[in-house]
Amino acid sequence: MTRAWRLVLEYYLLLPLGGVIALIWANTAGDSYFRVAQALAFAVNDIGLAFGLAYVAQEVIEATLPGGAFHPWRRAILPVIAGAGGTIGAVAVYITYIHTADELVLRQGWPIACGADIFLSLAVGRIVFRRGVAISFLMLLAIAGDVVGLAAISRQRLAATVHPAAGGLIIAAIAISVALRQSRVRSTWPYLSLAGPLAWLGCYWAGVHPALSLLPIVPFFSRSARSLDEFAPSRGAHGAAGHFESAFAYPVQGVAFFFGLVNAGVLLHGFDTGTWAVLSASLAGRPLGILAAVLLAVTSGVAPTRDIGWRDLIVIAFAASPGVAFSLFLASAVFPDGPLLVETRVGAIATIAGAPLALAAARLLRVGRFVDRHATQPVQSPLMDGRA
Amino acid sequence: MRLRRLIVAALAVTALARSGFHAQELSTLPNRPDSVKFAAIGDNGTGDQPEYDVANQMERWHRRFPFDMVIMLGDNLYGSQRAADFVQKFERPYKPLLDAGVKFYASLGNHDKTSNDTYKPFNMGGERYYSYTRDNVRFLVIDSNYLDPRQLAWVENALRDAREAWKIAYFHHPIYSDGGRHGSEIELRVKLEPLFVKYGVNVVYSGHDHIYERLKPQKGIYYFVSGAAGELRKGDLKRSINTAAGFDQDRSFMLNEIAGDDLFFQTISRTGETVDAGVIHREGQP
Repeated sequence: MTRAWRLVLEYYLLLPLGGVIALIWANTAGDSYFRVAQALAFAVNDIGLAFGLAYVAQEVIEATLPGGAFHPWRRAILPVIAGAGGTIGAVAVYITYIHTADELVLRQGWPIACGADIFLSLAVGRIVFRRGVAISFLMLLAIAGDVVGLAAISRQRLAATVHPAAGGLIIAAIAISVALRQSRVRSTWPYLSLAGPLAWLGCYWAGVHPALSLLPIVPFFSRSARSLDEFAPSRGAHGAAGHFESAFAYPVQGVAFFFGLVNAGVLLHGFDTGTWAVLSASLAGRPLGILAAVLLAVTSGVAPTRDIGWRDLIVIAFAASPGVAFSLFLASAVFPDGPLLVETRVGAIATIAGAPLALAAARLLRVGRFVDRHATQPVQSPLMDGRA
Repeated sequence: MRLRRLIVAALAVTALARSGFHAQELSTLPNRPDSVKFAAIGDNGTGDQPEYDVANQMERWHRRFPFDMVIMLGDNLYGSQRAADFVQKFERPYKPLLDAGVKFYASLGNHDKTSNDTYKPFNMGGERYYSYTRDNVRFLVIDSNYLDPRQLAWVENALRDAREAWKIAYFHHPIYSDGGRHGSEIELRVKLEPLFVKYGVNVVYSGHDHIYERLKPQKGIYYFVSGAAGELRKGDLKRSINTAAGFDQDRSFMLNEIAGDDLFFQTISRTGETVDAGVIHREGQP
């Protein structure tokens, strides 16, 4: 494997590559692009993404097990609070913006503001911090926002007619997964081929986004714990979890590419109120919400995270601000094809600006790789003096 | 043949204007007693003086061209939408027309509340998309904010079942437009145009861009953008090879008359000047 290819895989660069192709295609031959994108949308967003989210869920679950970055679970409290604060801040700014701009048709798009691009955040985090607890903090923070977004779009879908068998199918899928785990099945294929379709159909009929369908199954994979900040294929992990990671390491990259291709193609002249609402929510609302929530939490007695100071947190807050891929997905789930979808998608893409902002903040505040090695005094204060 | 008729109509307007007629007196509409007559307004609901000026102009033209309905192309109310706003931004400016029994049929724009579909004078019957007929004309009102699969299926069924000679669709976001601010909504076009072509839609009206534009027929369908009955984006028309005519210097509204296989249209500015006029002959008719 060449160094360049390793870099592409490690930083999930196929996702932005798909996005760039989509952008160029949509703006040069819009009719053909939208025809192709609309034809692929179901396969990518409703089926392929289920494997992508299962892959992320697998990483999170392992991180909460013994040996993981968030074991015991108390370690995860502050990043989860930060994630909740960031989400509240982003949604508040989004709602305020559309009210001010008098475009209430965009109101149901508030879940888009929750989206945090886990892979982009991770890439920025790695550039600044390389590895360590800051990466784990950033990951959990981003995931917390995405979970809220996913829950919100599922709730909106629940307003539709629910098939009576839907719940039964999901329960059957979980039961099969439990049975497979108890039978110590080490291959991931029985889980995916037996329980997977039932869960997918159950979610589809229940009005829950089918991209979430593998999430009830993943916790039942047999597994071994490791740190989330590695975020790379398991080293020596056994069981269905390890098999899943090794089997899907490359297919997930393919999903990421097609996800970018299908969702990122927006007409660049399509900016409007929805664009600015999503952009301001991500770049202003989320960082401010994160900082406010952490301030509130540590002053209320929540234990601060070791080795993370306020300057780190400012950089983390900006690194968590891009919603790009996940906001694109949420936008597609909230709005049908049309102008509202276009303008919010343009906003989602524009949130990529959070990445250079985070890098600029890191450089300005001398955080991570930009830290002044020759400084004799500590360059930043901990989250709470005397406690970090 | 169609193009020749349009050119003849346009030349007639130009010749009359040059011969010394006051623009206000020009009317290319035949004003036949048994025809379907309607006005079209878009992006009107500002509640500001220009909206009132356009409404006054409409009322003036109504006296000699008694249209009995107005199609509303969305953004029927801007800003707050409380009961008092419906009075200031709709009922008061159009009072003479409402009192004369003219019915308004609204489509929803991006500034409209979805709940406005229950506002009785908009005649939406509590539906964000709906259809109705006038003699041999089927009007299809689409909610272009949320073109979900259910609505799309409804559009297809409604067009397939329509037996009227004329099929006219209207909605807020234009699928063809040379407005600089917004332009064509291609994602909508990909969804709607195949249905329009398949089921023989003749004319499509939209707003959103705060200009007036008539486009050259696209796949046999005529498109109008008429989004300047209240708002105006002066100089925003970026003419392209698709532009047949346009006006972006003042507010405007449209008058239309369907008589047999012809649809006559006349676009009038806030000051009463005719800025475009012509006739469309129904596709497939000799």
